Amino acid sequence: MKIIVELYGATKDLSSKNFLEIDIKNNSTIQDVKFEIIKFIDKKFEGNKNLKQIIESSAFCSENDKIISENYIISKSQTIGIIPPIGGG
Amino acid sequence: MLHTKIVDSKRGKIDIVKAEKFLSSSKYGAIIYFIGTVRNLNENKKVTGITYDSKDSLVLKSFEEIYKDSEKKLNIKDKAVFIEHVKGYVSVEEKSIIIGVGCKHRVEAYQLSRYIIEEIKKRTPIWKKEHYSKNDSEWLKGVSIQQN
Repeated sequence: MKIIVELYGATKDLSSKNFLEIDIKNNSTIQDVKFEIIKFIDKKFEGNKNLKQIIESSAFCSENDKIISENYIISKSQTIGIIPPIGGG
Repeated sequence: MLHTKIVDSKRGKIDIVKAEKFLSSSKYGAIIYFIGTVRNLNENKKVTGITYDSKDSLVLKSFEEIYKDSEKKLNIKDKAVFIEHVKGYVSVEEKSIIIGVGCKHRVEAYQLSRYIIEEIKKRTPIWKKEHYSKNDSEWLKGVSIQQN
């Protein structure tokens, strides 16, 4: 199934569209999503270490604006947001 | 009493006059304003401006949570809080955030103001891309909010 990952902060460098469309299996976890994004970085950004590190230290949020854990199961096609390390103010 | 807003720099600016109007009340003997501005130098690089990115819905939610949590942490019941943060491009010297707090007494007001900005730094999903005088730019490293 396809999910949309909205991009924020430094992860916006991954696409000019401000989101990534990712193919995952039913009942995949956030860890699986991270793995797919890292594969995408390997393919499109020559394994850029900085980008990979940002993905590793990113949190994710659900459609209803809750921060979700690495074990969160994605059971249907949906939009999630990637929350790289923050720094406002 | 709480006011929160994210202001798109293409459409407007954050303004302390709005904070003054919101906080004007004879109930509060102490009013403090914290204003964050874009600094002209960072790690020996000449900064020309910052682009702020924001996950708006989560930002507003985090402001409300910080406001609610301040009640438990600091036990300040009678208070007014004004928080506005910019998104988009902001030049050097321009304001990026205004936090205004009104409390009965100065000790509470100082505590609350400090608490709010420190929690925003730890919890609020806003990102900075710094622009430099040599036309290059860089996303700043931040604090991870991963939950496992």
